Amino acid sequence: MSCMDPIGLKYCGGCNPHIDRSGLVREIENRLPYGCTLATDQPSGPWKIAILVCGCPKACADRPAVKSMARCWIHVGGATVEWEPVSKERMAEAIVRKIQEIKLEKGAFL
Amino acid sequence: MPLKTPEQYEESLRKMNFKVYLMGERVENPVDHPIIRPSMNSVKMTYTLAQDPRHEDLMTAKSHLTGRKINRFCHIHQNTDDLVRKVKMQRLMGQKTGACFQRCVGMDAINAVDSVAFEMDKKLGTQYYERFIKFLRMMQQEDLTVDGAMTDPKGDRSLSPSQQTDPDLYTRVVEKRKDGIVVRGAKAHQTGAINSHWILVMPTMTMTKEDGDYAVSFVAPADAEGIFYIYGRQSCDTRKLEGGNIDVGNKEFGGHEALMVFDNLFVPWENVFMCGEYEYSGALVERFAGYHRQSYGGCKVGVGDVLIGAAALAADYNGAAKASHIKDKLIEMVHLNETLYACGIACSAEGCKTESGNYLIDLLLANVCKQNVTRLPYEIARLAEDIAGGLMVTMASEQDLRNPEIGKVVEKYFKGIASIPTEYRCRVLRLIENITLGTAAVGYRTESMHGAGSPQAQRIMISRQGNLEYKKKLAKEIAGIKE
Repeated sequence: MSCMDPIGLKYCGGCNPHIDRSGLVREIENRLPYGCTLATDQPSGPWKIAILVCGCPKACADRPAVKSMARCWIHVGGATVEWEPVSKERMAEAIVRKIQEIKLEKGAFL
Repeated sequence: MPLKTPEQYEESLRKMNFKVYLMGERVENPVDHPIIRPSMNSVKMTYTLAQDPRHEDLMTAKSHLTGRKINRFCHIHQNTDDLVRKVKMQRLMGQKTGACFQRCVGMDAINAVDSVAFEMDKKLGTQYYERFIKFLRMMQQEDLTVDGAMTDPKGDRSLSPSQQTDPDLYTRVVEKRKDGIVVRGAKAHQTGAINSHWILVMPTMTMTKEDGDYAVSFVAPADAEGIFYIYGRQSCDTRKLEGGNIDVGNKEFGGHEALMVFDNLFVPWENVFMCGEYEYSGALVERFAGYHRQSYGGCKVGVGDVLIGAAALAADYNGAAKASHIKDKLIEMVHLNETLYACGIACSAEGCKTESGNYLIDLLLANVCKQNVTRLPYEIARLAEDIAGGLMVTMASEQDLRNPEIGKVVEKYFKGIASIPTEYRCRVLRLIENITLGTAAVGYRTESMHGAGSPQAQRIMISRQGNLEYKKKLAKEIAGIKE
């Protein structure tokens, strides 16, 4: 997996998280290949891929204004990745795998 | 026919062949039986209001399967707005009937089965979701009332289903055939069963491998061969046989529960949504209970609105409306009732999407909602009795009021303020009696306690969902504890 552009990162507000959002992001960063980075500062245009890290299943940050910030999102809502329950220990792995799948599937179209 | 008229609903019930026993006798015509009829009227109101332009915005929804307008009771929630509208609809229904209108239980069952069947198929490669959607299409197309059946009789609570002396005390599969399954057992407290077209059966609790035969979910026509019902008694139910319209408190509407017995019921495979997948039984129970605990933040509030109104009227008729303590008690009743509503709305607004696409309430808040429902209606009822005065339980009968000889005496001595006829005062006191002690108290009081799970069931869920470790972490940070 090569990473020319940073992967976007958008957190919910974190009022009552069911997961350790910061810990999860640290683990994702550790698992990403060399050169791949996460960025919270939005570039001039939308990110190609971004991770929406919401602390609970309500996922209140999942709203149109936020979704327009990236072309492709990986949705995390509490202990779920793309609405599928995942144990907290396996979440980072599942998210990185999802990033790889999107890059393989959409590649140049992103 | 995505929306049945109320008349078509009643007619559809008449065509069914229910096997119902009430007070030791087989009931040939449940629709017109004076004890059952008011409960049918309550369900019928769900059809009436769906046709009413003043209420259709809450009572109907757009089917995600067909795009057609359907009754909201047949709808799979597609967003948090649907969840909020569900609670508002239930409040409205409680206000219009002053009783349990019974149809929520099927709506909560289809929403629970929708997401669990989808997840089962995805993980196990079963075909339950496709079967369920086929049933749902029919339910929406024919605007059916479905009874969601969960609670088993349970026998000895210290023993698991398979350890019971009598294995039928939990509903189970006794035979698997090429064309379907045979089911034995029973479901207790079945709200609205005899006013329903179909039943949707779910396991009563989380099952283990040893209890795999008890992890069963299916649909069947409510009048299928192999199902019969024993109608539940309600306090003051035989007043409905007296022919009057004051002493019953609520002449038009009511609710009902019955014991539903499966006497070797055959269910074809196409109607089976779970058969032995015990590891999904917990999710199904948890989600159904969650939806139903949300429901109580709507329906009980609507009945509460009627009770508060009745108490305020009683105060008016007693000439006590201006007393400061009466005003304060009415304020307290409103405060308590709106607290329940706030919980119902909150768990809906905080709902989330499931893998199947339907929306689930916030389970913690739904359990908090129901835990409050196990308490606050009792306080509202206590305040209503306080305001009403002792006459609500010592008043003479309607026959006495109508009696040519003593009627005038009843008129004279049971009168409140001069401008209000004694009969009005009698009527409102009987309504309070009905909701707090009579037939409707089944729904407003004991069902508030035990319906959708007894208080301890919510406390277990609150304990699981309470995120206590996170709260400890917050406290450590504030207190400067560095480990």
